[in-house]
Amino acid sequence: MKGKIDLEKFLQTRKEVLAAWPTGAEVSLEDGINYHKALPPEKNFAVKLKKVKEEGITAIQPRAGVALLNEHIALLKYLEKEGEADFLPTTIDSYTRQNRYQEAQRGIEESLAEGRSMLNGFPAVNYGVYPCRKIIEEVNVPVQVRHGTPDARLLAEITLAGGFSSFEGGGITYNIPYAKEVPLRKSIEDWQYVDRLIGYYAEHGVLINRESFGPLTGTLVPPSITIAINILELLLAVEQGVKSFTLGLGQCGNLNQDVAALHGMVELAEEYLKRFGFQDVDLTTVFHQWMGGFPQDEARAFAVIAWGAVAAALAKANKVVVKTPHEALGVPTKEANAQGLKTTRQIVNMLKDQRFMVNEEYLLEKEMMKKEARAIVERTLELGEGDLVAGIERAFAAGVIDVPFAPSRFNLGKILPARDDTGAVRILEFGNLPFDSEIREFHRERLKRRGEKEGREPSFQMVIDDIYAIGKGMLVGKPRTK
Amino acid sequence: MKEVNLVLGVIGADVHAIGNKILEYALTNAGFKVHNLGVMVSQEEFVKAALETDAKAVLVSSLYGHGEIDCRGLKEKFIEAGLDDVLLYVGGNLVVGKQDFTEVERKFKAMGFDRVFPPGTMPEEAIQALKEDLGLM
Repeated sequence: MKGKIDLEKFLQTRKEVLAAWPTGAEVSLEDGINYHKALPPEKNFAVKLKKVKEEGITAIQPRAGVALLNEHIALLKYLEKEGEADFLPTTIDSYTRQNRYQEAQRGIEESLAEGRSMLNGFPAVNYGVYPCRKIIEEVNVPVQVRHGTPDARLLAEITLAGGFSSFEGGGITYNIPYAKEVPLRKSIEDWQYVDRLIGYYAEHGVLINRESFGPLTGTLVPPSITIAINILELLLAVEQGVKSFTLGLGQCGNLNQDVAALHGMVELAEEYLKRFGFQDVDLTTVFHQWMGGFPQDEARAFAVIAWGAVAAALAKANKVVVKTPHEALGVPTKEANAQGLKTTRQIVNMLKDQRFMVNEEYLLEKEMMKKEARAIVERTLELGEGDLVAGIERAFAAGVIDVPFAPSRFNLGKILPARDDTGAVRILEFGNLPFDSEIREFHRERLKRRGEKEGREPSFQMVIDDIYAIGKGMLVGKPRTK
Repeated sequence: MKEVNLVLGVIGADVHAIGNKILEYALTNAGFKVHNLGVMVSQEEFVKAALETDAKAVLVSSLYGHGEIDCRGLKEKFIEAGLDDVLLYVGGNLVVGKQDFTEVERKFKAMGFDRVFPPGTMPEEAIQALKEDLGLM
């Protein structure tokens, strides 16, 4: 580990970052810090999340964002009041995520002309610091920036100075699933800037929460790969002075595996924090309800939402990010969004005093997952020879870390996952993952059981059947009958 | 079936990669020669690829809601390039929010698309449509 970015160097880069769009001129670190200090503590994400963890409850949070400021505020207020959201989001539109501010501007103008949102999120950079503060002032709970931006430096400057107190993403998780041509070194260094900025706020007494984007491509990602990537992003963040970090995981669908993954991830993360000497980090977890294809039928969609809520509540995730009954059709209405929240609230309330019953399969699952994730992280550290960024870059190039179905050409894309007969996600083709024969045999054996049940060899068609399965009312994809 | 070239891609700033990979697999299996441009494809890239590959059809996907802004003017670019006869399909979650599909279909047909597919369309339906429209039945 190389330590924090030098302050002088950071401030030098900062000038260029703020010059990229006119609203950058509104940003002042001192003013941003003072603004946060004047906010009531219940509006601080890191503070509230810590409290949630101490109380042992699972907080709920939607995704939401529209093009126009007043509509966006109305949407968040509705989700706070009607949906009883504990935490609110501001989802950023896809043009801003690619730093295409001109196109975002066109989206705002067309939305004004059409009287409806023509963007899939809130273009915070175009609005600037003061409209962001208006959002924070109009709601009563903490608000997080959620997006998918490989270079989020200006977005972070503006939204943090605007009073947002949590920022989702990371140099890996907001590149590999969200970009095609952005080199990993570039996105990781840009995210080190974001983490350094949050470190700067922390040095001046303002806690900003950072969250990794656990679901990655949202489609059959083996949990050990998620865990390894989360740990690497955690280390990158705390190195720059981040003090509140949330590990993220997307639901796979098999309860044993999902709970084991969440618990295994925390255990391994704590181990690595200790090993590298980071002691004062608030570590929390977020569980994402199913991120893959949803059923179009709303009643069925509610069942998928509820199953994710069950896994989150039983695993005692600190926060669950909620889906909506409109998921199969794209961006939801505010009513549908609140319905997802209510479904989730009902379940987390009902299960708050129940615990997951530890069983043998869970223990085996957790042990295997930690072995796999550890193998990936250790090989990455070796490849880096003391330079974590270089290690991650080399690990992706070599396929030591490999995310299935990712659009980035800096991801090898050689592994293939599939569900076993219990619906747990296994690895069918290992690519260059640094796994020993014990791990490989474990996966092979589980997949063989499914193959025998279905009377077919595991293949790409099986994987496609799995991708469509939940949308069609099953967890494990059945062979198609002609 | 004689070799039929297709261009496939996800338009705009959209990075939804899963359906794109499945479509490539299914279309190739159905016997088409697929030139997959992947995600985040600009209008210009679609036109260029159609010219270079002598494509009979171009399949445009959009999953993130900006389809309306991203697809506007695409047909005109094909006409300018002398590609009036190339079939243009579009499919996915084309607009923001739950809207009546008949209205969405009307809107995109007015933009010059030959076929418009709703959310949740299986690859087989697109393959069937291609075979009909290209007279491969």
